[in-house]
Amino acid sequence: MRVDASNLLNRLGRQDFSYKEFEDRFTELELWPMLEALLKDPRLLELDGAAASGAAAPAPESLPSAQTQAAEFVPTPPRPAAPPAPEPVATDSISALFRRYEGPNAAAAPAPPAPAGSGQDVRAMLRHLSELGSRGEI
Amino acid sequence: MALIVCHSPKGGTGNTFLAAHMALGLAEAGADVTVLSMAAHDTLPFHFALPPSTTLSALHASSEDSVVVSGIDLRHARTAPKDPDFIPMLKDLGYFQTGRDRTLILDVPSCERNLARRLVNHACAHLCALDTAPETLALLPQMFDEAGKGGLSRTSFVINRLDDTRRLARHNAAFVRELMGPRLIGRIRLDESVPESIAMLQTLARYAPSSAALADVRRLVDIVLPALDTDISIWSGAKSSSYAA
Ligand SMILES: Nc1ncnc2c1ncn2[C@@H]1O[C@H](COP(=O)(O)OP(=O)(O)OP(=O)(O)O)[C@@H](O)[C@H]1O
Ligand SMILES: [Mg+2]
Repeated sequence: MRVDASNLLNRLGRQDFSYKEFEDRFTELELWPMLEALLKDPRLLELDGAAASGAAAPAPESLPSAQTQAAEFVPTPPRPAAPPAPEPVATDSISALFRRYEGPNAAAAPAPPAPAGSGQDVRAMLRHLSELGSRGEI
Repeated sequence: MALIVCHSPKGGTGNTFLAAHMALGLAEAGADVTVLSMAAHDTLPFHFALPPSTTLSALHASSEDSVVVSGIDLRHARTAPKDPDFIPMLKDLGYFQTGRDRTLILDVPSCERNLARRLVNHACAHLCALDTAPETLALLPQMFDEAGKGGLSRTSFVINRLDDTRRLARHNAAFVRELMGPRLIGRIRLDESVPESIAMLQTLARYAPSSAALADVRRLVDIVLPALDTDISIWSGAKSSSYAA
């Protein structure tokens, strides 16, 4: 790191910094056919049921709240409108992951209603990614 | 004792960087760490401020010949991919049990997929470094397929070399985050002080104490450390993290 940058960090009392707040619109995310192709690849479903090894996954109450974890990880101020935390993945599935995004927001999307099935799932996930982006959480 | 396998489906994602910095972080936290490089041409020593003339000795070589930095024993096992006795030997040495008293970190090159898969079956944890290149993402289905459901249970993913000023990198990171959920245990930012420290023949912590990559990797060490003592995957343990909140 250059001396001027580290001096600046010292003056700010920070250990490190990252650039923040870039807006990504849903339509931009749709630009990458690679992501769409991957979302349709059935081999990604192997992640389903690949539960934690060992006897039993820890009980949900033994986990710190997802909010706490996220705050630790990406230090953004808490947002009252944050969507509910995801289920523990041991019981999750990729299709459930997609279904999570079919919330009330889906209706507000600019796109025309997509046909049911995986195409819709892909769009829903991309839309969710876009929403995360617009909140600066990506 | 604990075995941590560092392996990525794609080369150049920072697997060796991650293995080295896990070793440094775990050792700093009091673990007794050995790092074993399995690459034919290994770059592991550079992360420990060692010069290009350094050669590591084999795992079974006597301790007088070994290279030890910050209490970490650096070794190579170049012949391991072809050695049928390698995995039994690790078992005999006791590395298939948990516990941080002695930790073995394996830097397995991306091309050694079979060896990596067999090692992961016995490991306490598999750390998989991904970068945000589209080619890396494109290899995930094949990786999942080869590993199967059981094979992924111990795998935790780390996004490395993240430059979130780049649109595609941001989108791909978001994709990985959503796909992996809690299995993604962290991200390490792209940081010029990583190569600079190597060129300076200094450790990253010495050369750039305020390095963003260093701060990120230290956060990861805190997540990995408790998993050394248990049989539960890192990502399902108490400190596993999720971006999706
Ligand atoms: N967070 C980071 N910021 C900047 N540079 C990094 C970061 N992580 C790794 N690097 C650099 O990226 C390059 C690739 O990293 P590394 O050698 O660890 O990858 P690898 O996956 O082990 O590659 P290989 O397939 O050749 O074994 C190296 O030059 C390394 O110093
Ligand atoms: Mg390497």
